[in-house]
Amino acid sequence: MATPAEQFRRQSTAIQRREKVIVFFLRASAWIILLAGATVLGTIAWKGAGTLLQPNFPFINITFLAEAPQTLHVFELDGETVEMSDQDFREFRAKLAEEAAASGESAIVPDSTSYVYAAGGIFPNIVGTLLLVAGSMSIALGLGIATAIYLSEYARQGSTVRFIRLAILNLAGVPSVVFGLFGFGMFVLFFGWNVSLIAGWFTLAFMVLPVVITASEEALRAVPQGFREGALALGATRWQTIRRAVIPHALPGILTSSILGIARVAGETAPIMFTAAFIMRDKLPWEVDRWFDFFFQGVMALPYHIYVVSSKIPQNEYSARVQFGTALVFVLLVAVIASASLFLRHRIRARQRW
Amino acid sequence: MSEPDTRRPFAVTSRYGGERKVVGERMIQLFFGGNAFVAVLILGLIMIFLAREGLGFFQLNRANLEVYRKAGLEFVEPLRLQENQHNQLVRRMFDLRVESARALGRNTELDREAINARLRPLDDFILAFEDAAEPLIHASMNLSDLAAEIKMAAIEWEETEEYRGGLKPDFDYETARESLVAFLGTQERLNEMVAANLRRVVNQGNQLEWANTALARAFAELRNEALAFATDLPGAYHEMSTWDPNEPVPTWKAWSVFLTGSQWLTASFWQDWYGVLPLLTGSLLVSFIALAFAVPLGIGAAVYVNQIATRREQNLIKPAIEFIAAIPSVVLGFFGIIVLGELLRQFSEIGWMSWWPGFPVAERLNALTAGIMLALVAVPTIFTLAEDALQNVPKTYREASLALGATRMQTVWKVILPAAMSGIVSAVLLGFGRVVGETMIVLLCAGNRIAIPDFTRGLEVFTQPVHTMTGIIAQQMGEVVEGGIHYRALFMVGLLLFVLTLTINYLAQRAVRRLRLPTI
Amino acid sequence: MDPTTTESPSPTTPAAASADAGRPAIIEVEDLDFYYGENRALDGVSLAIPSHQVTALIGPSGCGKSTLLRCFNRMNDLIEGAERTRGTVRIRGVDIFGPEVNVMELRKRVGMVFQKTNPFPNSIYENITFGLQLQGVRSKTRLDEAVERSLRAAALWDEVKDRLHESGLSLSGGQQQRLCIARAIAVEPEIILMDEPCSALDPVATARVEELIHKLKQEFTIVIVTHNMQQAARCSDRTAFLYLGKLIEYADTQTIFINPSDSQTEAYVSGRFG
Repeated sequence: MATPAEQFRRQSTAIQRREKVIVFFLRASAWIILLAGATVLGTIAWKGAGTLLQPNFPFINITFLAEAPQTLHVFELDGETVEMSDQDFREFRAKLAEEAAASGESAIVPDSTSYVYAAGGIFPNIVGTLLLVAGSMSIALGLGIATAIYLSEYARQGSTVRFIRLAILNLAGVPSVVFGLFGFGMFVLFFGWNVSLIAGWFTLAFMVLPVVITASEEALRAVPQGFREGALALGATRWQTIRRAVIPHALPGILTSSILGIARVAGETAPIMFTAAFIMRDKLPWEVDRWFDFFFQGVMALPYHIYVVSSKIPQNEYSARVQFGTALVFVLLVAVIASASLFLRHRIRARQRW
Repeated sequence: MSEPDTRRPFAVTSRYGGERKVVGERMIQLFFGGNAFVAVLILGLIMIFLAREGLGFFQLNRANLEVYRKAGLEFVEPLRLQENQHNQLVRRMFDLRVESARALGRNTELDREAINARLRPLDDFILAFEDAAEPLIHASMNLSDLAAEIKMAAIEWEETEEYRGGLKPDFDYETARESLVAFLGTQERLNEMVAANLRRVVNQGNQLEWANTALARAFAELRNEALAFATDLPGAYHEMSTWDPNEPVPTWKAWSVFLTGSQWLTASFWQDWYGVLPLLTGSLLVSFIALAFAVPLGIGAAVYVNQIATRREQNLIKPAIEFIAAIPSVVLGFFGIIVLGELLRQFSEIGWMSWWPGFPVAERLNALTAGIMLALVAVPTIFTLAEDALQNVPKTYREASLALGATRMQTVWKVILPAAMSGIVSAVLLGFGRVVGETMIVLLCAGNRIAIPDFTRGLEVFTQPVHTMTGIIAQQMGEVVEGGIHYRALFMVGLLLFVLTLTINYLAQRAVRRLRLPTI
Repeated sequence: MDPTTTESPSPTTPAAASADAGRPAIIEVEDLDFYYGENRALDGVSLAIPSHQVTALIGPSGCGKSTLLRCFNRMNDLIEGAERTRGTVRIRGVDIFGPEVNVMELRKRVGMVFQKTNPFPNSIYENITFGLQLQGVRSKTRLDEAVERSLRAAALWDEVKDRLHESGLSLSGGQQQRLCIARAIAVEPEIILMDEPCSALDPVATARVEELIHKLKQEFTIVIVTHNMQQAARCSDRTAFLYLGKLIEYADTQTIFINPSDSQTEAYVSGRFG
C-alpha cells in the first residue's frame, strides 16, 4: 500500500509527461510563426541592406532613394566589368564618339548587356506611394469618421441602422481586388479618368472606408454613456456634447485604427494595379503643365514596382538588387506606420481608465 | 441665487443665440447625415455596379454560344475531338518508343545507332498509324478553318454600321454553312476508309518485338484502344448529322457554362470559353493548403499565449504576430517567388524526400508555394481572433476545472476550447475569407496555369501550378475591352468572389452568435 | 386618505399639493403617462414638488421613479422609444414638453447627478467649467470664481484646491460624486435631480453626500431617487412612494415612514418587499 504522498507523485509524473509534450507543441507553433515572420523580414533586410546601405559615407545609398529607375548597362572595358546606368552610359558613349572624332578614328563602342530597372533608384515610387496614401486617407477619414459619428450619435438605433452597420462590417471583408475591379470599371473607364492618381485615391478610399467606419464607430461607442449624459445634463446641445464630451475621448481610438488603415492602403497592390499605377513614368508627379493634370496622371508606386521587378523582368543578380532594395524600403515604410499604430494603441490602453 | 423667479426659463431665448444654435445644430446633423448617406450610397453603388457589369456577361455569353452554334463551330467539334484522340494515341506511341529505347539501352550493350536500328519497325509503325488517319485530320483542319472563317465573317458583318443601323439583314449563316455541312456527304466513306487503314496498320503491329513484357502489355492495350477508336469513328458522323444549327441556346446554358465550365480560354482563334471551375478549384485548393498550415499553428499559438505563456512571452509574441499581419502581401508574394519557390524546389530534389507525393516538384511556383505564403497571411487573423475568444472565456470556468483536479491541458481541452469554440470557428472562417480574397501572393506564387487541378493524382495535386479567381482578375484586367465579354466575365468572377467572401463573413458572425456561451 | 397628502386635484393650485403651504410648488406633474415602447413606465402620476426642499422618490426597482426623475429635465428624450403619451410637467408654470421649450435651457436650469459617477476624464477645473464654457463664458476670473464657489458649495474645495488641474478620475468615488454635484452647481441651476447618487459609495462617503444634500437645499430644490429608505428618511423633507408606475402615496417624509396611509407603502417602508 503506497502512502498518499507516493500516490500523488506517481499519478502526476504520468500525466505530466503528456502535458509536457502538448505544451511543447503549442509553444512550437507560436515560435514557428515568429520564425517564419522573422525569416521573411530577415531575408529582405539582409539582402536589401546590400542595396540600401553602403560601406562609406553617408552609409545610405542616396542614389537609390533619390533617383528614378533606369536601365543598367554592363560591359567589358579593358578587361574589367563595368556597370553603368543608362544616363551615364549615354554620356560615356558620347564621350567616346567625341574622342574618336578628335583623333580621326572610328569610335569603338563596347557591347553592353542591359538590365531594365536595375540602375538608379526608386524615388518616384516612394513619392507615388506617399501621394496615394495621403489622398486616399483624406477621403476615407473625412467620409468615414463623419459617417461613424452619424451612425453612433445621431441615427435612430433602429433596424435600418443595424442593417447598415452589418453591411458595412461585411464589406470590410471583401477582397481588395474586387475594389480594384470596381475602381477600374467605374473611375478608369466609366468616368474616363484613365489610370490616374484620382482614380487610385477613390478606389483605395472606398476600400478602407468600411474599416474606418467600423473602427471609428467602435471607438465612439467605447466612450461611456455617462459622458454624454453628463454633458447633456449641463445643457449642452447635441453637437456640443459630441464635440466636447465624445470626440476627444474617442479620437485616440479613431487615430489608431486610421493608422492601421494607412498601413493597409500603403501595402495594397491589387486595387492600384489598374487604377493608378504605371510601370514606368519619366516625369515626377509635380512636373505637370496645368495644375489639374496633377490629379489625372498615373504614378509609380512601391508595391507595384515590387510586383513588376519580381515577375515581369528576367531574374538575375542585377535585378535581385533592386528587388530586395525596394522590398526593404517598402517594408520599412509600412513597419514605421504599423508600429506607430501598435505603440499608440498600447499607450492608450495604458492610459484609459473608464 | 439671483431672483430665479423673474426670468422665463426653458423657452427658446436668444440669450445664447438660441434660435441660431438650433439652426446650427440642424446643419451639423445634416452634414453628418449627408456624409453617412454618401458613404452608404457609395458602398451600395459598388455592389450595384459590380452586379450590373457582371450580370451583363450572361447575355453576351449566350450570344457567344449562339455564334458558336450557328457558325458551325459546334458542328466541327466531334471531328476535332477525334483528331485530338488520334493525336493522343500517337503521342503515347512515341512515349512507348522512348521507353523502349531506354529499356534497350539498359539491358543490352547497344549504342544509340544500333538501338535506333532496332526500333526502326516501331518508328515505321507509328508513322503509318499517323498517316492512316491523314484524311480525317485533313478534313478536321479544313472544317475548323471554314467554321472559324464563318465566325469571323459573321462578327465583322454584325459590327458594320449598316447592320447596326438596320440597313443590312442578319448574317446569312445558312449559306455560309453550306460548304461545311456538305462534308456529311463524304464523311461516311471517309470514315470507312480511315477505319480500314487504321485496322490494317494496327494488325501489322503484331509483328513488333518488345524489350520486355511490360512494354508489350502496354502496347497491346494501346492497340486495343486504337481499334476501339477505329470502331467508334461513325459515332462522330451520327452526332454531326443530327446536329441542329437553329436550335436556340437556352439562357441557363450561359450560366452553366460559366459556373461548371472546366475551361477558361481567352483570345483563342477557335472559341473563347469562360468556365470559372478551374479558378474556383484553384482558389479553394490554395486556401485549403494555407489553412492546413495556419489553423493548427494559429490556434496552437493562441492557446499557448493565452493559457501557458509567461507575461514576457505574451508581450513578445502578441505584438510580433500583429506585426506579421502588417507585412504587405506583395512582399510575401515577392518572398515566395524569389526565395521560397527556389528553396522548395531544391528541398524537393533531395533524394530522400522523393517519397513525398509530387516531389521533386515540376514547377517551383505551385499551389504549395502559394499556400505556404498565404498561411502567413491567415495566421495573424486566426491567432488574434482565437486569442480573443479564449480571453473571453470566463476565468471561473478555468478555476472550477482546476479545482476539480484537472491538469492544465485537460482544462484547456475539455473546458476552455469548447467554451471558446464559437469564436475559434469564426476565427477560422475569417482566416479563410482573408486567404481566398488575397491577390498578390497567388498571382506571384501559384504558377498561374489555368486548369482544374488533377485530383486523381492524390496528394500530388498540392504541387501542381494553379490559377485563382483573384489572380485572373489581376492578370487579365489590363488587357480587356470595356463592356466586352471578357471584361464582363472578369466582373462576374469578381462578383462571385464578393458573394463568397460576404457569405463567409456572414457565417463567421453567425457562428459567434449561435455558439455563444450562456451569460453568467 | 389624508386630504393634505394626496395629489392636487388641480395643478394650477400648487399650494394645495404641498404640505408646507408656505413653499410654492416648483415642479407640478399632472396625470403623466410614460411609455418605453410597449411598456408603461408611469401611469397617471400627479404630484407637486415644493421649492427649496428635498423630495425623495422611493419604490422598488422598476417602479418608475428614475423615469419620473428623468422627465424633469427630459433626459428620457435620449432613449429610443421613450415617449410621454399623456399629461404635463410644469416647472415654474412652463410646460416643459411644450413646443417652444429649449431643452438645452431646461437642462441648464434643472441639473442632474447620476447614479454612476461620471466626471469627464479631464482635470477637476475643466469638469467644473464645462457647463459654463458651453454657455460661452471665457473670462478666466469668472471661471475661477465659479470653480471655487461650486467646489465650496459641494464641500470639496478644501480637499482639491491644490490639485485643480489633476484628472477628475484621480479622486475617490465619494469625491467624484461631489465633483459631479459641483459640476451641476456651477451652471447655477434651480433644481438638482439626483439619481441614486450614493448607490456606488461607501457609508462614509454616503454620509458626506447626505450632509451636502442637506446643506444644498438652502439654495436649490432637490429631487432625489433612492433605494435606501434610511437615506430617504434621513435627508428628505417629503417622500413619494411609487409602485408599478403609479404614485401610491406622497406626503411628509415623517408621515410616510411613521404613519403611512396606504398598506403598500407601509409594507415597503417596513421592508416587507422591494
